[in-house]
Amino acid sequence: MTKTTVRLGDIVHGRSGDKGDMVNIALICHDKEWLPLLESAITPKLLSKWFKGWSEGPFEVFSVPGIGAVNCLIHKVLQGGGTVSKRLDSQGKALGQALLDVQIAIDCKIAKRVGFIA
Amino acid sequence: MRTTARIGGGGGFWGDQPLAPVTLLEQGNLDYLTIDYLSEVTMSIMHKQLARDAEAGWATDLADWLGAGGIDLLHSMDVKLITNAGGANPRACASMVLSAAAEIGWNDCVVAIVIGDDIGGRLSGVSATGAKLEHMFDSSKGSLLDHAEKVVSANAYLGAGPIARALERGADIVITGRVADASLIVGSMLHHQGWAKNAEAEGLPLCGPICEWHNGDNTLDIIAGWTIAGHLIECGAQVTGGNSSDWLKIDNLATLGYPIAEIEADGRCVITKPLASGGAITTRTIAEQLLYEIGDPSSYITPDCTIDLRDISLEQIAQNQVLVQGAIGIIPPETLKISATHRDGWMAAAELAVPGPNPRVKAERLDQILKQRLKHCRGLEIHCEFLGDGALLPPSLRVGLPPPSEIIMRWVATSYDKKELAEFARSIAPLVLTGPAGVCGYGARARPRELLRFFPTSIDRVLIEPQVHVRMLHSWRHELELRMPWLEEHIFDRLEDMVAAHGVKSRLAEKVLKRLEKVKEGGIIHD
Repeated sequence: MTKTTVRLGDIVHGRSGDKGDMVNIALICHDKEWLPLLESAITPKLLSKWFKGWSEGPFEVFSVPGIGAVNCLIHKVLQGGGTVSKRLDSQGKALGQALLDVQIAIDCKIAKRVGFIA
Repeated sequence: MRTTARIGGGGGFWGDQPLAPVTLLEQGNLDYLTIDYLSEVTMSIMHKQLARDAEAGWATDLADWLGAGGIDLLHSMDVKLITNAGGANPRACASMVLSAAAEIGWNDCVVAIVIGDDIGGRLSGVSATGAKLEHMFDSSKGSLLDHAEKVVSANAYLGAGPIARALERGADIVITGRVADASLIVGSMLHHQGWAKNAEAEGLPLCGPICEWHNGDNTLDIIAGWTIAGHLIECGAQVTGGNSSDWLKIDNLATLGYPIAEIEADGRCVITKPLASGGAITTRTIAEQLLYEIGDPSSYITPDCTIDLRDISLEQIAQNQVLVQGAIGIIPPETLKISATHRDGWMAAAELAVPGPNPRVKAERLDQILKQRLKHCRGLEIHCEFLGDGALLPPSLRVGLPPPSEIIMRWVATSYDKKELAEFARSIAPLVLTGPAGVCGYGARARPRELLRFFPTSIDRVLIEPQVHVRMLHSWRHELELRMPWLEEHIFDRLEDMVAAHGVKSRLAEKVLKRLEKVKEGGIIHD
């Protein structure tokens, strides 16, 4: 399986929000057809790697095919919730944007099949 | 009346642009104006205010824009206002609204309040029914009842039913406490499409289930569609270009328009904004808001309906107009969510800026100095972030970031002992002369504030008693209510046992026992 690395923001746009001690990060493909590529790249395992030190999970990824998106749920990530978190981003609102600059590995075969790369 | 309802979303939180609702009224050609002022945190702030002042505890922004011409516009344009501005004190909020109406000579303005969400004051009664009130997401957190002494607020999320019935009884303005955000919109639709009229005619309970109010097909999907419309506009400008990933490409953000949902009887809607306003409505801004604060997209739970939003489709049908359809409705759970907060110690925050060269190394050393000086404060937990150096990303994603030219150090400390926080606050200023050359940015000494921990839980619907009151002259008429006779019976049974055990025969006990007799005879009690 050949992999290549791209900036997450080249595949998706996003928004994040909180619910109690949980953050949801919606990642929405610029082109709905790219969803299989996003689904193959964003996994609970990747989220657990990214959020090491902030959350021990659970990590969940849900597909939303109607708009070509995945919804990532990071549990127990706000030090107990927005009202008690000591972080500046106490509600995780910046994550949906900050993650767009992160480099992720994608599968070239899927990327070609969905038309992300020629 | 148009079949399609035009419903505006005039704000996203308490503290949002104060005059946005006035502009939306002027430009929006609305049938209904809805405004969501409440968040998980807001309710607890309002309850604290109410504890200090019996007339406070509601969203004062409402008074500001009503006074700035808003009340005239509502009256002259015949737009219904539905808002949860009542917060912890809907009655006081509604009194303000009536005064504002009277001031412009709108003497027959009908204001209704929707209450019954607040269970903070009757937790012992609720627990007497056997309700567990366990933490919604984390069983290790126990029950809200474990913190009963420290509870500041506990409110159930009411649904759309009481709002719709208030409108059906002629309300021009509906002021609620904690209702689910989207229910402000769903309640308007239940009235607009005649469902509430059916419910009135058939004498159905005011709080639903609202799917029984409709004689037709696809009932749950329609409610789901209306709820999604509500979800999309309840955060105001966050759907019209604010907070969008495309923000840099969007024009006229200073005059950003607030959203309007044109909602159909069949559950579809078009999200748009006033022609004259700035911002943008695209499938991209809508998609971002669609998933905002959503958990599992196959079951987004609201009091009115659970929604599967995985196959919702968005279509740009014109500039700044997006058609939204495809929500699937599922019967909602038998429980209502409760949003509660309890006191949990103290917090204080302080900042200092460290210039280059080598700001990272200097900041780390300065943090160590502070922590060493405060080592004797055993209950103090100090958190330090380096703003400008990846603080908004989790640690694993900061690796390889380019070195910053300067860093703002931000310390946040918590403790159950307020004195320790005073010592923390005093220890920041001395760092200016101990610290690296050029350290700056010291503000005022940090003031400890009380921490409120959010505690989500749930409760059986039948333990919540929503009520609609409508103001008549100088008193509130008890217009509609849902009482749970067996609940009272349960509580009174306990009282009876207590009376029997202790032989107490107080006047209060006698009164309560008399009420119990009435409950056992016929059910509903009217005060």
